[in-house]
Amino acid sequence: MSEETLKPNYWKSLGQLAKNEEYEKFLHREFPENGSELTDDVSRRSFLKVMGASIALAGFAACRRPVQKILPYTKMPEEVLPGNPLEYATAFPFMDALEGITVENHVGRPVKIEGNRLHPGSGGKTNIFGQASILNLYDPDRSKFVRRDGQRSTVEDFRKFCADYFSDTGRRIAFVAEANSSPTYNRLEDQIEEKFPNAQWITYEPFGENNALEGTNIAFGQRLRTINWFDKAKVIVSFDDDFLNPASTKNSVENTRQFADGRRVMATEEAMSRFYSIESTYTLTGSNADNRLRMKTSDIEQFLYALAAELSNSVSGLSAFSGYSNQFSDHEWIPVLTEELLDNRGDSIVTVGRMHNPDLHAVVSAINKALGNAGNTVTYNEAPHLSDRNNQIRFSELVDELNNGNIDAVVFVGTNPVFTAPADINLEGALSNAQQVIHLSDYYDETSSEANWHVNRAHFLEAWGDGFSYTGIRSIVQPQVRPLYDGVSDIEFLNMILTGEQGNAYDLVQETWRSFYPNNFTTQWEQTLHDGLAGEEIFPEVSVSISGNFNARANEFTAKKESSEGIELVIRPDDTIFDGRFANNAWLQELPKPMTKITWDNVALMSKKTADALGVEAAGLGKAEVEVVSITVDGTTVKIPAWVQPGHADDSITITVGYGHEGMGRVADRAGVNTYPLRTTEHMLYATDISVENTGTLYEIACTQDHHSVEGRSILRHATLQEYRENPDFSSYFEAYGADLPGEAYAEEQGADSPLSIFDAMNEDEYPDYEPQWGMAIDLNTCVGCGTCTLACQAENNIPVIGKREVSRGREMHWIRTDRYYDGDIADPIALHQPVPCMHCELAPCEQVCPVAATTHSEDGINQMTYNRCIGTRYCENNCPYKVRRFNFFNYSEEFLTDGDDPEIIQMAMNPNVTVRFRGVMEKCTYCVQRVNRAKINRDIETDGRTMKPVDGSVHTACQQACPADAIYFGDISDPDSEISRVKQNNRNYLMLEELNTRPRTSYLAELRNPNPKLA
Amino acid sequence: MAQIFPKWADEVPQRLLLGLIIFMTALVAGIWYYFSPEYKAVGYAPEQPVPYSHQLHAGKLDIDCQYCHTTVFESQFATVPPTQTCMNCHAQIATDSPKLAKVRESWETGEPIEWIRVHNLPDYAYFDHAAHVNVGVGCESCHGRIDKMEVVYQAEPLSMSWCLDCHRNPEKYVRPVDEVTTMGYKAANQLELGRKLVAKNNINPPTYCQTCHY
Repeated sequence: MSEETLKPNYWKSLGQLAKNEEYEKFLHREFPENGSELTDDVSRRSFLKVMGASIALAGFAACRRPVQKILPYTKMPEEVLPGNPLEYATAFPFMDALEGITVENHVGRPVKIEGNRLHPGSGGKTNIFGQASILNLYDPDRSKFVRRDGQRSTVEDFRKFCADYFSDTGRRIAFVAEANSSPTYNRLEDQIEEKFPNAQWITYEPFGENNALEGTNIAFGQRLRTINWFDKAKVIVSFDDDFLNPASTKNSVENTRQFADGRRVMATEEAMSRFYSIESTYTLTGSNADNRLRMKTSDIEQFLYALAAELSNSVSGLSAFSGYSNQFSDHEWIPVLTEELLDNRGDSIVTVGRMHNPDLHAVVSAINKALGNAGNTVTYNEAPHLSDRNNQIRFSELVDELNNGNIDAVVFVGTNPVFTAPADINLEGALSNAQQVIHLSDYYDETSSEANWHVNRAHFLEAWGDGFSYTGIRSIVQPQVRPLYDGVSDIEFLNMILTGEQGNAYDLVQETWRSFYPNNFTTQWEQTLHDGLAGEEIFPEVSVSISGNFNARANEFTAKKESSEGIELVIRPDDTIFDGRFANNAWLQELPKPMTKITWDNVALMSKKTADALGVEAAGLGKAEVEVVSITVDGTTVKIPAWVQPGHADDSITITVGYGHEGMGRVADRAGVNTYPLRTTEHMLYATDISVENTGTLYEIACTQDHHSVEGRSILRHATLQEYRENPDFSSYFEAYGADLPGEAYAEEQGADSPLSIFDAMNEDEYPDYEPQWGMAIDLNTCVGCGTCTLACQAENNIPVIGKREVSRGREMHWIRTDRYYDGDIADPIALHQPVPCMHCELAPCEQVCPVAATTHSEDGINQMTYNRCIGTRYCENNCPYKVRRFNFFNYSEEFLTDGDDPEIIQMAMNPNVTVRFRGVMEKCTYCVQRVNRAKINRDIETDGRTMKPVDGSVHTACQQACPADAIYFGDISDPDSEISRVKQNNRNYLMLEELNTRPRTSYLAELRNPNPKLA
Repeated sequence: MAQIFPKWADEVPQRLLLGLIIFMTALVAGIWYYFSPEYKAVGYAPEQPVPYSHQLHAGKLDIDCQYCHTTVFESQFATVPPTQTCMNCHAQIATDSPKLAKVRESWETGEPIEWIRVHNLPDYAYFDHAAHVNVGVGCESCHGRIDKMEVVYQAEPLSMSWCLDCHRNPEKYVRPVDEVTTMGYKAANQLELGRKLVAKNNINPPTYCQTCHY
């Protein structure tokens, strides 16, 4: 089958599109270059030190008998059954929003995070940060002790210092703290402000919610939290809002769940929301748009006002915009959007990116109010902890006050502002004017080294706490393990400053909760702890009305008509390491970024046209070694590799921050470029007056987009909703290729159900009837491409991290990858995502070629990989048409044990129910066989041996359980009533590479898009 | 000219060949036997920090296995008992026995007793106690006559072929579930009983790789 016959012609990378030599070479080599050498010893070893892990002595069992010890409890805690992990509810704090989670705890050792099924916000789901946060707990680079002026000290010394220094209540103290929704924390904050009348409290987040709060303040006269209910919306219009991406929203899990619910179409008559995205760079959210308009970030404001003006003709409440026009008033999208929004009054959502200035948030709020969306699809809720002060401005004032000598002590709670503060604020220099600088943080980072006191913070799995989810569901943060390094929690830290005593976070939290539960405290507290939430009550919704000032303010916005000549620079948080706080998390560093598929680096993204104009050639051809460009803003220059992003707005460059740490940890320090110096108070989101030059030097990027390519075969199928309704079977082989399935006609002649094979497969009657038959289906229509499945799999299955050098050789170990395809012109293609785990073929090509039968078929239909048999010929990998097998070229997991400084810590992160693989062994997706076997054994015992087939829906693979879009179905296909059987009956169901007659157990539901025909 | 080699030299090559065959056979047989778990693992009896006697407790005093190994029907591990279990009795009995010094110390300090593991499977093999005892695999089938062991030793090879022997022919070994902890259980007709139990309890022990290896 030649590529030309396939329609549409999907492509993954520029190299593939240009059919360049490098791409072809990569594709056709059996293994990537240097497949058998290891040259970059230093960096690899260091990564391994930090990441790999294993149980000592594996592999030598045959030579010497290892002496293992069994250490029983002295007193067995109630409910602990060694071998049966317990699941405790708690919550993961991300800025000031808690994500409801449960933690799998093996005799006191937290191992895996899942969403809390009882929590309406998470609904049992997680995002990449939630999944990866457990690795931070076991990070050997975490700060392990208190330091005074860089010298090792103790918590007790710090407590004594606090008792002494803060006994003077006249101290002028500036607190700079992370956003935190904890009622206990905020209670202590109030007490501190009361006790120290000269203290000031500044909430500082580099990518906080402040602009959105200011926006509602302008529109409605109140700082309110905007909550979009995407499942209720028929039309969604996003102005640069990456609302599915955890780096861009605090509520990504709930947003993704709801967005996916609005997109789930299981029959032709079902409705599907329509999503318009207007954005500059190709975001994760934009890649799910039905209609996407690429537009410079600096133009979006004007475009929004043009839309508001058009809407003002038909709805009341936007009178400030009547008669207004600008260069976008004639844009073809304006009448289309207006019509859609007017047709769906009360059922639409207009939303704008978090970092856009408050004016846009105000106008969007006013539009939602005018359309009747407010109170239906969008609610404005009052969160008690959201301060009524504009924190961003006060943070800039802090430096002036420091320089004027008005501040005695600065206390940083959790933040790293020396690294993240706007470049024009010289915080580092100003800090020397304070008598005492105190810093509580997870890592001894850039800010710690400027501080007199550094206090190591406890991880959230080590400390008591509380707080609210984004929508306002209240939870207790319950520790899972005693602090590994005697860390101090936020609450205890504040208490030490307030009282001079460390206190006990448990008592402090209980004290707060006594006011919520005045009667029956113990019962209600225990119920809340057990459930992980205190009821489903959310923040009180405010019935908003346009404030009297809005019109006057709106006239101010419309008066400024910024031209956007020249190239703009857009600064965004990073997709995987956020503002830099996850930079030392190797799982997140190695997770390919959702659109670019780049690992371990940040780059400057630009369109092909912009790249051509800048003379950036290599990036435009999709090569691994790309030119470095130097970008200058306000006299500050940063050199960063250039990368062509198809679908990026022209004359716009997007960079992400968070990389290029110095002294944070071994993983963080090695990766990427620090781009914070380009971000100033004036240019928090974008800068227009910039200069860019091609330096001509080359830099290697480890990008996985061409790895594991399937040679342009039609493995992805999609159609518009309209096409689906006209032709429900569009995803069948015949429709995709215009030809019958090879071998089908002959099979019919022979009276067989499916094409015949020369290989022996287990026939249906050979599968024993007492075994379940496992199968999986992935709904591409609801999958948004976030990568949570990849991380959940990594955490569950002890998958090692291998480092940038190894990734660039195509050796990444992820068992489930998310392929991202483009369809269309390089300037403005649509993007599609496809997660690919092992297909568990019934006629598996890998099984036919293994010389030692290390990969075989189980009676429950799983393609098994037996590590102890594998001799590492890699024939199976070569023969796998889906490219889902991963080889341990080096002892990724274990080598570091010989020279790691803290190996036991990383061992603790490993799932004890999954073997840690050794060098020279092949591995791949197992359908989470450890969970499957567990469920079968439990079912067998429960039913006194009647059956070992688990109840439908009682066994979940790790990827399925984590998927916030609920796009993965898994279950017993031999049961015709199971969910998976019903899903596989759907007419969108298709098999990847069906023509190869491998009979995969994993199938896909073809993707649908719902574009507006008027914008075709 | 005198002959260089005497007459017996004719037989040297044949004898050498024969010798080599015998040596190689012995070598292979030696490795086959002496490197196998049957030889290397069976009988392993490390000295434990506390000279606990199963012979006394399980044999003479006839305490049921589950008094200490409480989770065997519910979990993949049978569980080595906490110090507290020892102290249930030894707070009253033999309170000043020097043999129990470590137990009392553990109880007072909260530090665990460091037992040496006797039955140790490779890390790539997963064994689940609950899955086995709940279908009638007796404790003694794998652990031997614990009630007769002064010091616990490994009684069976725990090798893969040994596991498979029962997985392929469970009727040779299974017993009624309520006899699981009985030591020295003997059915009148094991095969007849076994076949009955296999049918009654739907015992279909899988023999594919991922039953144990994952």
